[in-house]
Amino acid sequence: MRELELYFGPQHLGMVGNFSITLKVEGDRIIEAAANPGYLHRGFEKLMELRTWIQNFPLVCRINVVEPDPMEMIYAMAVEKLANLEVPERAHYIRSIYLELSRVSSHLFGLWAYSNMLGFDTVAQWAMYHRDLVLDLFEELTGGRVYHIYIWPGGVRRDFPDGFKDRIVNTLHTIGGCVPDYDAAFFNNRLFYERSKGIGQISQEDAKRLGGVGQVLRATGVKHDIRKAESYAAYNSIDWDIHTREDGDAYSRIWVIRNEMIESVHMIFKLLDAMPEGDAYKKVQNPFKWKIPKGEAYVKIESSRGELGLYMVSNGGDKPYRVNFRTPSYTHGLTILEKMLRNASIADVGNIMISLYVVAPEIDR
Amino acid sequence: MISALKNDLESIFKDIQISAPEDDRLIINAQKDAVLTILKFFKDKGYDHLAMISCTDWIEEDEFELIYIVGSYSVYAPAAEDITSDKSGVSKEAAFNGGNILLKTRISRKDPRFITAIPVFENSEPYEREIHELFGVDFKGHPRLTPLFLEREYKIPPFRKDFDTRRYVKDFFDQIPFVENKEK
Repeated sequence: MRELELYFGPQHLGMVGNFSITLKVEGDRIIEAAANPGYLHRGFEKLMELRTWIQNFPLVCRINVVEPDPMEMIYAMAVEKLANLEVPERAHYIRSIYLELSRVSSHLFGLWAYSNMLGFDTVAQWAMYHRDLVLDLFEELTGGRVYHIYIWPGGVRRDFPDGFKDRIVNTLHTIGGCVPDYDAAFFNNRLFYERSKGIGQISQEDAKRLGGVGQVLRATGVKHDIRKAESYAAYNSIDWDIHTREDGDAYSRIWVIRNEMIESVHMIFKLLDAMPEGDAYKKVQNPFKWKIPKGEAYVKIESSRGELGLYMVSNGGDKPYRVNFRTPSYTHGLTILEKMLRNASIADVGNIMISLYVVAPEIDR
Repeated sequence: MISALKNDLESIFKDIQISAPEDDRLIINAQKDAVLTILKFFKDKGYDHLAMISCTDWIEEDEFELIYIVGSYSVYAPAAEDITSDKSGVSKEAAFNGGNILLKTRISRKDPRFITAIPVFENSEPYEREIHELFGVDFKGHPRLTPLFLEREYKIPPFRKDFDTRRYVKDFFDQIPFVENKEK
């Protein structure tokens, strides 16, 4: 049969965002796939070298459009580490609650993308609506719906407003009350099972070998989560579980995402109960005059896609000397995607790509 | 616990400087010939996750610094059979206490060449490709050092310190006339 070269994306219904894959196909079987990032390369890491430490926050959150909050968190953590800033106890709790809310909203967005791709339009609309309810909370807390710039070196920008705790609980009860509907319509649906079982399968060894993190790794049975392994914020002050599956296929990954979302909601309730009184931020000197001591730091957190790392170098000046992000989509979208697509069918490309949870801006930076 | 690993490293490898600024961080400065051997050593010790490879341009010292950041997947609840018994006297916990290892090496800026780490960690492929594109470091043995992000060729690779981003933007985009001017 004749070999053809096929361009999949960036203008394609099965493609999320600004990304493309060059496929070499024979019939509808893929012989080889080459990921093509760069459509959204804005050179943020270089631009950050030209801006002061505090001016970089608006850039940092734009690295991942779907969940900008872990980006703020990691940048703030790196600055705190280099400058030896302390964060008040209450701010740790607020940060954890805020990051878990962000995880819920990001997973709902992921669920929207995945169910939409499979043709479950109703479920997709529910997920988008519920995500909007979480965004309402963000809007009240920070003033922004998508980009928040809420986490700050030394704490968070402001404390929870009056009655905010109750509104978080209400919103999460509204979303949680629909879990049976989601299960009936989607997660326990035969069509979802048939369409995702065995698709994009990866073994535990391969996932480790190719640098898989997050759900991709947990769906193969590895109990690895940075929130437990190297706990930050207030994660080790409450009790929670890491959810895993064994098969390493799209079906397992989506189920891990579902279970994580529910776990996150439980975590928020626990964190809200345990939250101490006190300051939400520590007064720091005028950010426009910051000079961060010479040094280097590598910090990492668990974003909703996996290990998010930041390597930062300061030469003692008012701007960072080098900033380099390690984003989870990088290995998933380049190395692992290329491996999974080999021998797959053309009809499964979107399925595999979205189940890997790849966000293109995160790769390009 | 990390000190046991530090002692172990110092006894095996010569010409390396090790510092442990925190309990879970180990910073190693090594000669470039030793990098792959040290990476292999860590992989065998259970540090099986290459988190990233980064590059810093130290223009005043006329050197590039390559940083290999290695962590472990087995930090949390390793399965019993995954823990290998250790011959060198390092306890099981020491090998699996997690944390990150920053392995650093310097290469000349004038002739930036290095060898690929793909034989040890397969996922170093896109990182090396990126460093090649943005800093101009050539990795010997890398199967495809083709452009990853950029569509144009640059005289100076754009993430080097001597590449003036603002000047480039001005020079490049000022040549494109505004729509209003075009009509006139």
